[in-house]
Amino acid sequence: MRSLRFTGFMLLEYIRSGRVALEIIATLVVFFVFLRRVGISMNAEYFFSVTGVYAPILTLYTTAAFIGLGDRPQGYVLLAHGMSRTSYLLGIFGSAFSIVAGSYGILSVMAALFNRPLDLNIFGWMLGTLPLLLNIALLAALMLMLSPLVFPSAWRLTVLGLIALAFSSNFIGGPIFESLPSLVRAILRAVQAVLGGPLVPAFYGFQLTVTRDYSSMTAVANILAQVSLLIALLGLAIYSFSRRDLMFSDGAP
Amino acid sequence: MSRENDVVIEIDDLSKSYGHHEVLRGLSLRVEAGEVYGLLGPNGAGKSTLLHLLLGFLKPTAGHVRVLGSSNLERMRAQIGYIPERQRYHTRYTAREYLRFMGEMNGLYGSALSNRLDELIILVDLEADANRMLSTFSKGMLQRLGVAQALLGDPNLLLIDEPTSGLDPVGQRAVLDLLASLRDRGHTVFLCTHYLHEIEYLCDRVGVLARGQIAAEAWVHDLRIPSSNVMIEVDRLEPELRTQLQTLSMGITCEPRIIQIRQNTPQLQTEVLQLLINAGVAILSLAPLESPLEQFYSQAVQTRIQMQHAGSTDDAGLSTTAHESMPVARPTGEGETLLNELLRRNSGSANGETNKPE
Repeated sequence: MRSLRFTGFMLLEYIRSGRVALEIIATLVVFFVFLRRVGISMNAEYFFSVTGVYAPILTLYTTAAFIGLGDRPQGYVLLAHGMSRTSYLLGIFGSAFSIVAGSYGILSVMAALFNRPLDLNIFGWMLGTLPLLLNIALLAALMLMLSPLVFPSAWRLTVLGLIALAFSSNFIGGPIFESLPSLVRAILRAVQAVLGGPLVPAFYGFQLTVTRDYSSMTAVANILAQVSLLIALLGLAIYSFSRRDLMFSDGAP
Repeated sequence: MSRENDVVIEIDDLSKSYGHHEVLRGLSLRVEAGEVYGLLGPNGAGKSTLLHLLLGFLKPTAGHVRVLGSSNLERMRAQIGYIPERQRYHTRYTAREYLRFMGEMNGLYGSALSNRLDELIILVDLEADANRMLSTFSKGMLQRLGVAQALLGDPNLLLIDEPTSGLDPVGQRAVLDLLASLRDRGHTVFLCTHYLHEIEYLCDRVGVLARGQIAAEAWVHDLRIPSSNVMIEVDRLEPELRTQLQTLSMGITCEPRIIQIRQNTPQLQTEVLQLLINAGVAILSLAPLESPLEQFYSQAVQTRIQMQHAGSTDDAGLSTTAHESMPVARPTGEGETLLNELLRRNSGSANGETNKPE
């Protein structure tokens, strides 16, 4: 309950500060540039392709903004009032997620009112929205975990290094990869396979958003994988945040 | 409200380091229920670090901290009121909205919360401004708001960090009077400051934090004994007279219009005044050279620094532990106050036994 109340408190501050104008303007720009009626009507695949890219980009900005709001000396007073560190962190996460989900909601309503995708009904919208919202939550949780508020620098660099290694198959390929010694190639492939595993639910989630193809069990399994990954990321963030020295930016004693 | 004779804060051999920088080193202290304890120390001495350790924001590198009988500090926070040094609050809210939210975090709801808000807003004299945005508040008003938020949960312990820092004299007086009213209501208060007058005005007991340890402790009551050292201001002081005065005692120093008497005694002071009168010098003023608290503080800090520079805590025959590194007035009264020790050193006369204030 306290994290919900804190989420409301943070959201109200964000709205009153006027910062939310950026999300509103960005959403309007995306609608008018990509989604408004220009000659032909759009289809559902196009709508979800646009929102599936826009929402994670907005998540990067909004989550960073809320991490900044949470990483202030004002937090000491809040925590001194009996709010747990877990509630505090979940409040920041919930606030960022709410703003991005709200922006996506506004975009969907505007599309429904002014340029409704021909092959999309409310059920189809929900099927596409579920993995999209989970991807937003995953990205927000990852950013929160990698923020200075939660992870010490050494851990942050380690996790970022592992993510880079997981993505390296996209950058190290063809002749470069073949020029490496066979043992190194084998190790690199294994490491990429292991580290790339956690990224699969997010990428497949984007595909699921666009296709809304739930005909196989893989789709359901991916939703479960997204939820599991989200719980794991939030759990790790909460664990790290509860164990470390609490020193908000510009507020170190 | 705390029960009498309970130990509210217990710190044993506490150390805290940031990387290789050791801020606190083996600090120990006790604060009893109903007591107003002032922690005095220069900027950067580690006072705020200690407060954050008491609140569980920081984890000790070594040692133990118990607050209100528990070492689970996170759980005890709801029973602690905290007034931070920097008046940083969520300024997009009105005072009443902000206090309402904080009250809810303290587990207050409905009419109980509304009544508590009304009561505290009156206490801190913010009735006229309760519905104004905090962004329009002055520093003094924000500090009074800080007092109100700290009292929301009717805490058993108040932790206060530099309460008058950055306030104008009127704001300082208002905040000090407010804190004095809390003291009079029997709250247990742990106050960190580097202002001596706050200690004199508010505290029962004072500890000096220097180089990561409690260098000395004393009852403020004992430190209110007027200092015997004096400063005499005169209209002129001829060189011959200066020489004459300085031959009376090693403790006399003379400047063109100022005479300072350290290691003073009534007899010495009489001799100095007699010489001045006989020489026809006009005496403009005679005042204590420094307050006993100031003397206590500077001596404690200097001794601690000297001991550390000497590379050992076993210096000049003093004891080796943190608490015994300077003469300490213990709450149980078994020790001597630093004041007594200083007076003995400076004037060669002890001022009697330490008395625990009533």
